[in-house]
Amino acid sequence: MGDYREVQAGSKPLKRSYIAVMLWFVGRAIQAAARVDKAVREEFEQLPEGFSFALGVEPHGPYMIVGKNQKGRVKYLGWKIEDKHIDLKLKIKNIEAAVLLFTFQESTTVASARDRLIVDGEVPHACAAVRILDIVEVYLLPKLIARLAVKRYPIWSFRRKYIGRTRIYFRSLLGY
Amino acid sequence: MYVPGYYEFCSRVKMIVGHDALERIPGALSDLHAKKPLIVTDKGVCQAGLIDIVTDAIKNSITIGAIADDVPQDSDLQIVNRLATLYRENGCDSLIAVGGGSVMDTAKAINIVVSENAEDLMKFSGAGALTKALKPLVAIPTTSGTGSEVTLVAVVKDHERELKMAFVSYFLLPDAAILDSRMTLTLPPFITASTGMDAMSHAVEAYTCLAKNPLSDSCALAAINLISENLLTVMRNPGDKDGRLAMATGATLAGMAFSNSMVGMVHTLGHAAGSVCGAPHGSCMAILLSFGLEYNMHKNGHLTAELLLPLGGSQEYIKTPKHLRAERVVDYVRKMNHDLHDASGGRHARFFKEIVDRDGKQMIPRVQLADIARAALSDGSIFYNPEELDYDDFLMVLEHAWEGIPLDRSRIKKG
Amino acid sequence: MFLPDNYEFLCPVKTNSGNRALEHLPFELEALSARKPLIVTDKTVTGQGVIRKMINAFKDSGVTIGIFDSMPDVPDMQLVTELSNIYRNGEHDAIVALGCGSIVDVAKVVNIAASYSVKILRDLAGDNLIAHPLSPFVVVPTLAGTGYETSKFAFIENLTFSSYFLMPDLVVVDARMVRSESVETTVATAMVALAHAAEAYTGPAKNPLADSYAYAAIQYVKDNLMNVLKKPRDTDGRLALANAASMAGCAFSNMQPGLLHILGEAINAMFHIASGICMGILLPYGLEYTIQKNGYHTHDVLLPLSGFDEYAGTADNLKAEKAVNIMYEMQQDLYTVTGGKIPRTLEEAKIPKYMVNDIAEKVFKNGAKEFGIDDYRMVLEHAWEGKPMSWD
Repeated sequence: MGDYREVQAGSKPLKRSYIAVMLWFVGRAIQAAARVDKAVREEFEQLPEGFSFALGVEPHGPYMIVGKNQKGRVKYLGWKIEDKHIDLKLKIKNIEAAVLLFTFQESTTVASARDRLIVDGEVPHACAAVRILDIVEVYLLPKLIARLAVKRYPIWSFRRKYIGRTRIYFRSLLGY
Repeated sequence: MYVPGYYEFCSRVKMIVGHDALERIPGALSDLHAKKPLIVTDKGVCQAGLIDIVTDAIKNSITIGAIADDVPQDSDLQIVNRLATLYRENGCDSLIAVGGGSVMDTAKAINIVVSENAEDLMKFSGAGALTKALKPLVAIPTTSGTGSEVTLVAVVKDHERELKMAFVSYFLLPDAAILDSRMTLTLPPFITASTGMDAMSHAVEAYTCLAKNPLSDSCALAAINLISENLLTVMRNPGDKDGRLAMATGATLAGMAFSNSMVGMVHTLGHAAGSVCGAPHGSCMAILLSFGLEYNMHKNGHLTAELLLPLGGSQEYIKTPKHLRAERVVDYVRKMNHDLHDASGGRHARFFKEIVDRDGKQMIPRVQLADIARAALSDGSIFYNPEELDYDDFLMVLEHAWEGIPLDRSRIKKG
Repeated sequence: MFLPDNYEFLCPVKTNSGNRALEHLPFELEALSARKPLIVTDKTVTGQGVIRKMINAFKDSGVTIGIFDSMPDVPDMQLVTELSNIYRNGEHDAIVALGCGSIVDVAKVVNIAASYSVKILRDLAGDNLIAHPLSPFVVVPTLAGTGYETSKFAFIENLTFSSYFLMPDLVVVDARMVRSESVETTVATAMVALAHAAEAYTGPAKNPLADSYAYAAIQYVKDNLMNVLKKPRDTDGRLALANAASMAGCAFSNMQPGLLHILGEAINAMFHIASGICMGILLPYGLEYTIQKNGYHTHDVLLPLSGFDEYAGTADNLKAEKAVNIMYEMQQDLYTVTGGKIPRTLEEAKIPKYMVNDIAEKVFKNGAKEFGIDDYRMVLEHAWEGKPMSWD
């Protein structure tokens, strides 16, 4: 019938690529921050052994996964969620919501107040994960943007903020 | 009225309200194609004679499958599983929950088990695990109240593994909620006070925190109005049927509000105090409410100011200059606690160090405030609070709430 | 605060409103266990580029959608049969009405046909004859709407279906989808929402639960209608008006029709003037009538109309009167801002004076006995002349 048609909407490759890159960077930055920043290290120490968490977009990704290995070291574990056991998944409901988050139009706080995220896992772990993400955002972003991303921009020493930032960028790019 | 950038609101529970609303349960069950309910309740409700009132109202039209009255104060996994078995053994096809928060939570959890034929309830915890409608559930609150009759959350403790499981899903919403004045007529003044302030804190936090939206705001304003007009009245005159129905309505509206707009630091700290020290939820909310408003004032004082109208009335609102209204609201909340303290013969606590158990023993010793502050870091409601709180901030607020002294605003780190 | 002794209330509609609300649709459908929605709309909507946005919202979701976009202006039962066949043959499991008015009506009736059989459809017209939940149903308004979209009613040919099961599971209010309309349409739709919400808020079945929807609806219309007329690109304003309509629909689905509804629909049927325009004319008079009948019900309708400060500063015994005056002022403003396009009285709407009696008689004869024939006549006469009712 001419009036009726079925449509498969396709995908959004550019947006997906952008989100994938951002997530990759955030994952590597978390790995780096766990070595460089005391607060992040302590948050991870409080989490159970072998704990892993993922941040990504429903229904088909992209994702980033970070977790503690047997020695307790925090590692970026890639983007494939299917073949791993993951303790906590922070799922963004759709790619547009992810774009709003990663272009800083909506901070994590605003995004969760606006029902854009689902927490699949235990809430205390989610609280820790969000605190870790907040700290990493302060490291990665200039103050002008980070102030939009976090609820309360922290007051850090010069050393922590600028030297820490340099070290984290370095480590994120080189992957150690 | 504020237009949010984005919001969601859903309250699909059928409400049946009145002085003889219970008699309409058979009709409600029949609309849901249900014939044989399991009644879930606790010993307190039974002893107050409330179950008899419910069964008298329905037994001529409905076959009651069974009555389970052993839900403990904290909903427990073992009980959930046992009652699910009772449900199946009696060939039940629906649930009626008569009680407060933990009875409601238990009934919702039983509903998951019997609808999904679940072996392990854990599998359904978190959000998104339930994908289809559950069995019919009718909720009859006996406190005013937790608002659980209209919330999409259930919390169950696994005492063996020392875990708390939270279930979040629209499918957990009861199909119908019955507000009948007979259910709270005999509620003792002390519990009336604490559950009333629990409802008040739900409405106030829903109105002043980050996920507010126009529908939750309407509900919250009406709730605050009803509670402030009726709470002291029913404390002094417990048999006031209209007052009790007003309180029940206020508690439900507050439940609708916070179920959709969430809550903030008052609940973060209150939950933590409850889990660390076992302090009653309502008492903690009542005390913490004014401190939450003070702490957040630099961020949401303009919203707090608006609450002076439903709290204090037109006269109070108009004679208070705009820039002082938020402070007046804080005063009002504190005054309410003082009045409730007097009206309950001293049992309603005005600050943490006053909270005592049945034997008069202090429930929140000062040394435990550090543990409470630490526990608060794990509570998700903090996401919706307008201002950030870390361990030191939590501890500071707790210390003031313990002593009952207004917050030292210079110590608030503003974001 | 007014509290009735005995009432019931149900609103099964979930609201998603705001920036990128549409993109949540695949997730919401999944939560309703729906994976192949049928989208029902018409060529006016598709011509606006809105269907492209709908398709884009499903990108990256993996969901196949069916689109039917040839809704005629006046749908009939044959169309319903055609659509239910499409629904079944395409193995769809949800219906999404993209549009307002008759698009939504048809979608609701098709939903009934999809769950029951088309043959017995006519037997299900009437009150509460549908006995169980239907397929998942979503409304995405493309206008601010009147509120009928989220209501429990569906109208087709000369049939009226009424059931809570017809209310959508979800209404998605996204400013990108809500288009600017002519001045007359904007006012007409907003006034239907306002009139219904005001009647819910002040009528005999008033209750705090319906009020929570009605309060927000009244405030949103009051705060935003003028702004949208003066500045048609005010997206927040249009979003608010669309919200108001949806909320009004939820509120009045729990009420019996009031005077404004009864008279507004009657005048629309007899004179083909948009019911919203009629209800807008009748509003202050209908409200005055209600106040004189049940004063205690109505003084707090001032709150959503005036805001907290003005409400608190008005003496209790003057609140109701002030609310009515605000309605008169609104009428005057609408007339001025639209250059006289929106009539303030039935006379300005070109209704002959001698017909006033006919309208009252017809309404009364058609069974709307909630009010007496003299009451209808009195309100109509005052609305014709533009003469406020006395306050003693």
